[in-house]
Amino acid sequence: MSTAVRTATAARVVDAVKVYGTGDTEVRALDGVSVDFHAGRFTAIMGPSGSGKSTLMHCAAGLDTLSAGSAFIGDTDLSALDDRRLTLLRRERIGFVFQAFNLIPTLTVAENITLPLDLAGQRGDREWIEALVDTVGLRDRLHHRPGELSGGQQQRVAVARAFAGRPDVVFADEPTGNLDSRSGEEVLRLLGRTVRQTARTVVMVTHDPVAAAHADEVLFLADGRLVDRMPDPTAERVLDRMRLLSQSDDGVNSQGRQGT
Amino acid sequence: MNASLRLGLTSLRSHRRRFAGTFVAVLLGVAFLAGTLVMGDTLRASFDTLFTSANGGTDAVVRSANVVTVPGQGQGTRRPVDTSLVTKVQGTFGVAAAVPVVEGSGQLVGADHQPIGGQGPPTRAGNWITDPKLNPYQLAQGRAPRAPGEVVVNRGAADKGGLKLGDTTVLRAPDPVTVRIVGIATFGGQDGMGQVTYAGLTLADAEKYLTPRPGEASSIAVRAGPGITQQQLVDKLTPVLPTGVEAITGKAASAESLDMVAGMFLDLFTTLLLVFSGIALLVATFSIHNTFAIVVAQRTRENALLRALGASRRQVAAATLAEATAVAIAASAAGVLAGIGIAAGLQALFPAIGFPFPNGDLVISGLSAALPVAVGVLVCLGSALLPALRAGRTAPLAALRETAVDQSGASRGRKITGGILLPAGVAVTLAGVLTGPNVLLAGAGAVLTPAAFVVLGPVASTYAVRLLGGPLDKVRGITGSLARRNALRSPKRTAATATALMIGVAVVSLFTVFGASLKTTMDQTVSKSFAGDVAVSARAFGAGGAGISPQLAPAVSKLPEVKTAVGLGRGVADVDGGGRALTVTDPAKLSGVLDLGTVQGSLAGLGANGLAVSADEAGKRGWHPGSTAELAFPDGQKQTFTVRAVYAERELAGDYLLTREAWAPHRVQDSDSLVAVSFRPGVPLPEGKQAVERTAAAYGSPEVQTRAEYAASSASGIDMMLTLVYALLALAVVIALLGIANTLTLAVHERTRELGLLRAVGQTRAQLRAMVRWESVLVAAFGTAGGLGLGAFLGWVLVKASDSAGTSAFALPPLPLTVVALVGLLAGLVAGLRPARRAARLNVLRAIATE
Repeated sequence: MSTAVRTATAARVVDAVKVYGTGDTEVRALDGVSVDFHAGRFTAIMGPSGSGKSTLMHCAAGLDTLSAGSAFIGDTDLSALDDRRLTLLRRERIGFVFQAFNLIPTLTVAENITLPLDLAGQRGDREWIEALVDTVGLRDRLHHRPGELSGGQQQRVAVARAFAGRPDVVFADEPTGNLDSRSGEEVLRLLGRTVRQTARTVVMVTHDPVAAAHADEVLFLADGRLVDRMPDPTAERVLDRMRLLSQSDDGVNSQGRQGT
Repeated sequence: MNASLRLGLTSLRSHRRRFAGTFVAVLLGVAFLAGTLVMGDTLRASFDTLFTSANGGTDAVVRSANVVTVPGQGQGTRRPVDTSLVTKVQGTFGVAAAVPVVEGSGQLVGADHQPIGGQGPPTRAGNWITDPKLNPYQLAQGRAPRAPGEVVVNRGAADKGGLKLGDTTVLRAPDPVTVRIVGIATFGGQDGMGQVTYAGLTLADAEKYLTPRPGEASSIAVRAGPGITQQQLVDKLTPVLPTGVEAITGKAASAESLDMVAGMFLDLFTTLLLVFSGIALLVATFSIHNTFAIVVAQRTRENALLRALGASRRQVAAATLAEATAVAIAASAAGVLAGIGIAAGLQALFPAIGFPFPNGDLVISGLSAALPVAVGVLVCLGSALLPALRAGRTAPLAALRETAVDQSGASRGRKITGGILLPAGVAVTLAGVLTGPNVLLAGAGAVLTPAAFVVLGPVASTYAVRLLGGPLDKVRGITGSLARRNALRSPKRTAATATALMIGVAVVSLFTVFGASLKTTMDQTVSKSFAGDVAVSARAFGAGGAGISPQLAPAVSKLPEVKTAVGLGRGVADVDGGGRALTVTDPAKLSGVLDLGTVQGSLAGLGANGLAVSADEAGKRGWHPGSTAELAFPDGQKQTFTVRAVYAERELAGDYLLTREAWAPHRVQDSDSLVAVSFRPGVPLPEGKQAVERTAAAYGSPEVQTRAEYAASSASGIDMMLTLVYALLALAVVIALLGIANTLTLAVHERTRELGLLRAVGQTRAQLRAMVRWESVLVAAFGTAGGLGLGAFLGWVLVKASDSAGTSAFALPPLPLTVVALVGLLAGLVAGLRPARRAARLNVLRAIATE
């Protein structure tokens, strides 16, 4: 377990390049991105469709490999790891919240929360997990199946799961994309609160300026490049910045690789 | 092309992989069926050609019309004809030649001092017929026998025994005759008549060793003069023959021989194969049904969209059926081709493993091509019918909902139906078994019970998987837990998948249990009835072997170690118009070596006109000591006997005991089938056994066995049958295995996102593979457990229902059943390998992004 005190950077990518296809169909989803995700902070990644924001997250999280450049979790170079070690790294040092289908339908809420720990054959920190359960407010739902929960509740379970193993960094891919605004707000507050109260690190990809406003900092991507950073964002400022981006990057949408 | 058909075919094209399992299942079942039919036709045709060409020169056969046939013993015992009749036949107009044919049992001993053949097909000896046209055998080497002790043997027997021209060996007829091989013969150009061995002696030798009295022949072979047809010849012969003697055409005689071979071997062989291809197809039905059910469930959204766009129920159902038809036709056609290939392969293989089937082209009748295709298509369409109807019932609104996996299964209706069916089935079976036994009731119950198992499958699968998978949580942690829950997801699907294996395992265990019970019964019979120390028996099976020389028992009796030695021979007679087997022996001494149980009356002094019968037989006919019984012997004579004794134990002694004295006037070739020996007190078993073996050496070395050895060897035929049955059932298990693999592949496809998620949050590839494999093993374990239970129950039913005397034992052999269970689990493991590998290869990101 790492702590925010020891390393200033929880995750980073250096000169990240990701190319899909070859020749005429070649698409550069990432075109030399270098970025540090500071420990103990809530970072949002924004950008128009096809800007490479999802690709950046996937590569930083070890779900995908870079064509060039490198990605680090703490001091671990992901490109040096084989599939098995990447899997172990994901299990022990990274948490995930996806847009939808975050939970295993056959497992109860409690089992879903401890899934990464169970896969590793560890008991985990019980006190921490109990506290998490209270934070997400699902104590009375622990023995239900995901099918019996609302969408918002399911996402809260996913958040609890992501933090259960005290990972170095939690990656959230459009975590509110499938939720109504009230449930979405709840999940975002939950993420923010957890970062601030427990000094965790969260990297979130989103296309929603309101969601991005919950972060400590917003990174803007366009055409596979990092084009701007905005500390202490508000929804209005983010929206303005995004309008500017989509005007200057007209036609990016046709690039095929979708960014949602 | 109509819309439904087009939809079905396009869908098939884009999901070819999903139907790979179905295709292979139908193909295997159809191939088995087609191969059996083609093989049967081919063998029949080859034997037909063989007999026709071998007996082509014989235009008529003159023989006794009197024949005594004991039920269950193929060929009857026919009275001989007088050799003097040959002259009379020769003098008849239209006869070119007539020769006496003397036939009997005679087993040759090979160069290694081991008897040749005897394990099934007959071992024959006879006079070498000098008229080459009347002799079905032709000399291939050497010359005909001229002097006493000279013999011609068929090439197959010579090769098998390592005998060459000029070699001296022994012919057990059953008295050992030293013979010198002067000729090697072929039968219709082949090494022999199938596996039958043949030794041709001079007429004098044949009369001396093979008939009780000289001047008698088994039959007379007749050749017609020029321009005389077979029927004309028979018409000419009939008036000159004495009463009780008949003439039949050569063609009819040939057909009779063919019928004998076909009846005894081919029919049994093909019926057995047909039954097992039926089982394979039944197993396939469950696999195919399951595949279609899953595919339809997975396609709910697609079908709903079609319905929303205006497709009728009928059109949606028709599209699914069109898909099934296409798979069925393709797979069945491929299956027939594969079946023909199998038959051709077997035809080539049999001679290579020393099983000389006659050559000949493959016979592919219209039936053996059409029937398997029809069955394949029927099985496939029948399996797809219900899923297709369900597809048609898809509500248009289902297009808007999340794809839902069918999680139903334990519906109330099913529970009630199964809840009634199972006790009813068991009750009917028990009623059938315990009252009588009543085979009809037992049979009805034996059909109802498996049906109840199939209906209750989805209900049981939930409990069974929970129970069987319980330990998995502890052993394999979350991986085991996930596997168990995946298996529990769709109880109906799990049950249907497991049912295929259950049927296979049930049949395997049924035969295992039945075989073991038969063995135990035999073992008990021998240990109960055999009171002697050693048994001398000719190691033979079926129609083979020539028995034991009747001289052996008296010779053994003279040994200082021996207290009693009694030979048991066989005779036949008609009693009340039905053929019965007689045991010809020395009844007075019999109680010294066999336990006959309670004896009413006296076995001593039966004389030439007394007999002893079993209590069973006496009960049936209302006899008791003092009653009279009329026996009609094969020689046409009738004699009235007095029942002097009734004994309880019939297992080794048979139903009728007769003295040699009484049988002698009617006897045919004389032989004993068993010599039971008991030693004097104080003689150690090995010493006594060696002494008997030394004496037996002079009589063709029949096998000398202790009681335990004798019991074990009595049951050895059962093991042989079981091995064959296991080999045939392997196919059904393979099809069940394909079914499991197919269901898992479809399930993996269905759970792509979930698998992606598991991988993303840290499930290693190895863990994922283990999860899929364990699910497979759990499904297999459920099927295996059900199959073992069902098979054991049906085995018990079979044992009890086939046992009217109530003397059969029921045995559950622990080792073989454990092996069956392990094979079932292993099948599950193997079935899970490929789906697990495929699942582990999933790209995490793409899997998560799947719709």
